[in-house]
Amino acid sequence: MDAILKIEGVTKSYTGHVALDDVSLEVPRGAVYGLLGPNGAGKTTLIRVITRITMADSGRVLLDGKPLKAEDVYHIGYMPEERGLYKKMRVGDQAIFFSRLKGLDRREAERRLRIWFDRLNIADWWNKRVEDLSKGMAQKVQFISTVVHEPKLLIFDEPFSGFDPINANLLKEEILGLRDRGATVIFSTHNMASVEEICDHITLINKSRNILSGAVEDIRRAAGGNMFEVVHRASDEVLVAALGSHAMAVGDSCGIVGGYRSVKIHIPKDEDVRSVIAALNDRCELRSLREVMPSMNDIFIRAVNGTL
Amino acid sequence: MNKLYLIVSREFSERVRKKSFIIVTLLMPLFMIGMMLAPSLIMLYGGSEQKQVVVVDRSGIVADKLYSGPEVTFILEDEMSKAEACNIYNAESGIFGVLYIGSTIEARDSVQLITNSSSSMAIEENISRQISKIVESEKLRAYDIENLDEILASVKTDIELSTFLNDGTGEEATMESTSSGMNYILGLVLGMLLYMVIIIYGQMVLTSVVEEKASRVIDVMVTSCTPFQLMMGKILGIASVAITQIAIWALLVIGASKFIVPAVFATDVTAMSDTMLQTLVGTFGDTTYIAMLFCYLLLFIVGGFLLYASLYAAAGSAVDSVQDGQQFNTVIMLPIIFAMIVMTSVFNDPNSPMVLWASLIPFTSPVVMIARIPFGIPTWEIVTSLVLLYASFIVTTWLASRIYRVGIFMHGKRPSWAELWRWLKS
Repeated sequence: MDAILKIEGVTKSYTGHVALDDVSLEVPRGAVYGLLGPNGAGKTTLIRVITRITMADSGRVLLDGKPLKAEDVYHIGYMPEERGLYKKMRVGDQAIFFSRLKGLDRREAERRLRIWFDRLNIADWWNKRVEDLSKGMAQKVQFISTVVHEPKLLIFDEPFSGFDPINANLLKEEILGLRDRGATVIFSTHNMASVEEICDHITLINKSRNILSGAVEDIRRAAGGNMFEVVHRASDEVLVAALGSHAMAVGDSCGIVGGYRSVKIHIPKDEDVRSVIAALNDRCELRSLREVMPSMNDIFIRAVNGTL
Repeated sequence: MNKLYLIVSREFSERVRKKSFIIVTLLMPLFMIGMMLAPSLIMLYGGSEQKQVVVVDRSGIVADKLYSGPEVTFILEDEMSKAEACNIYNAESGIFGVLYIGSTIEARDSVQLITNSSSSMAIEENISRQISKIVESEKLRAYDIENLDEILASVKTDIELSTFLNDGTGEEATMESTSSGMNYILGLVLGMLLYMVIIIYGQMVLTSVVEEKASRVIDVMVTSCTPFQLMMGKILGIASVAITQIAIWALLVIGASKFIVPAVFATDVTAMSDTMLQTLVGTFGDTTYIAMLFCYLLLFIVGGFLLYASLYAAAGSAVDSVQDGQQFNTVIMLPIIFAMIVMTSVFNDPNSPMVLWASLIPFTSPVVMIARIPFGIPTWEIVTSLVLLYASFIVTTWLASRIYRVGIFMHGKRPSWAELWRWLKS
């Protein structure tokens, strides 16, 4: 795997508690990478280690295979969870200031910012003061300031907090767009719906440790335990007989529209799904069979409770 | 370098565009004029309300000669005993107090002022001066001199001392006229100005660092530039605001010196009756001298500010709120306050050893030296003081930046001195 960022055995402790305990992970180039975990798990600390705001006690952070240096951070786009904007400054001036700090010249910065402001429907705010903005508004400004210089690596700490569903969706689209244009995106969140929709990979941090890492599809499939949903028109007895030793129904069928009934079945790992379909198709007037994967929300809760 | 420039210009343009900056810049000269006029204004209007004092005079020579002035009126109550007077004219009566004069005035405890509330220096002075005068003239009268009053009036003398700086010739036409009165006022105003600029702008650095830290702008900033650039950018940005402000004041005063003073006081200055006004107009009409003073002022203000600003920045970086910063703030202010105290003794002797040292040692030098400059001191002292000041600015900035780069990332309780020391060494 071509990893843009590698974290190897990072440990960080503050007086009296360990914030990160031997955390390792790899962020594939071009991925949208979710850092999940309950409040206080250490997500933000990990992000602050990556941005060199906090120094790790031990372990390494590698960017493109080389240890991360102070100058590297200048090429990362970082949006902290608590919005870091100068309150008294006007929105446009502020965005230009941050863009120029990241190396854009004034005209280019303004050109790009105007485009972004239009895209996020905030063009009218150019001359407003930050202190007059709502939290969600300020967040959009912060988002634009973070991405305007088109960094290769973007890090967002809780990007969706403070957004209504419409704007959260807008932001999601923009994050995916950034990925499509070649950026790698890391973000922390506990909004699981957003994880399913946009993350390719995740790491779940709980109590300062990395307890689950990998591609979202793999994780959900692994956690799913080969559960399938069958929609059919037979009685339960017929269905169970049809399944025979191929698979096992979990619970009874329940009726859904059009006289069809739905039931969950478990197909053992070594069983060929096709033989189950064949058996059901013969006797049960099979309408559909699909794999049931647990939601990230379930996985999150089960992983944190240690029941995964 | 480009980033430093960006940070400096942001600090600068955000601050000079504020209404408060414009207002303060325009009002400060008025305030300073007020400061210069304050002593005479206080003399005119500052006296508190007139006090009433009941006089019980057993000697029989004082009471009717006491003069009631704007400060105090005397009410004669010769019929009463001291105890009666004290009893009647108690705190409820609204009377300031009872003046009791025993039969032998010069005996110990013979003249007593028994007040209903705390006494006042001015009134004590007034009463004892009056009584001394009355007794003196009574004694003179005892010699039975003819035309005593005329003699006393003709004896009264008031000498005016003209002071010059020795140029070796002894000719008053060539020698520079000096006036410690004028120097005093100039020194005081300049010293105060410097003191205020350092404190106000220094606090601005502290507040601004704390705000940047609390609003987490700092998190975004440090992923764009180094903590040192951030700190220096802030300090230099605020310094450039201070320079702008003083340059505006300088232009106002120099403009007044060049155009307004000659226009208003078109007549020959030496023909003026009031010597104080004469020196005032003479000094402020001397545009080159005023411009030179402002140059020194600027050099010392910038040096003094830079020296202290880095300390304020370090203090701001170590705390989470401005309130938490107060403890460090107080410690930083101690040398400046000490400098103010030393400054007042400049006016007694601008060349005493303590004053000389205080005007060379960096932490006190800006305030003390600027107060000495109007008295005319050797250039080498000024240059030495400036060199030391700017050299130590580099040292404090280096030390402060070591605390700063750790402090800005620390949240939670205020660090102890020991922790700061650890950050310094890390």
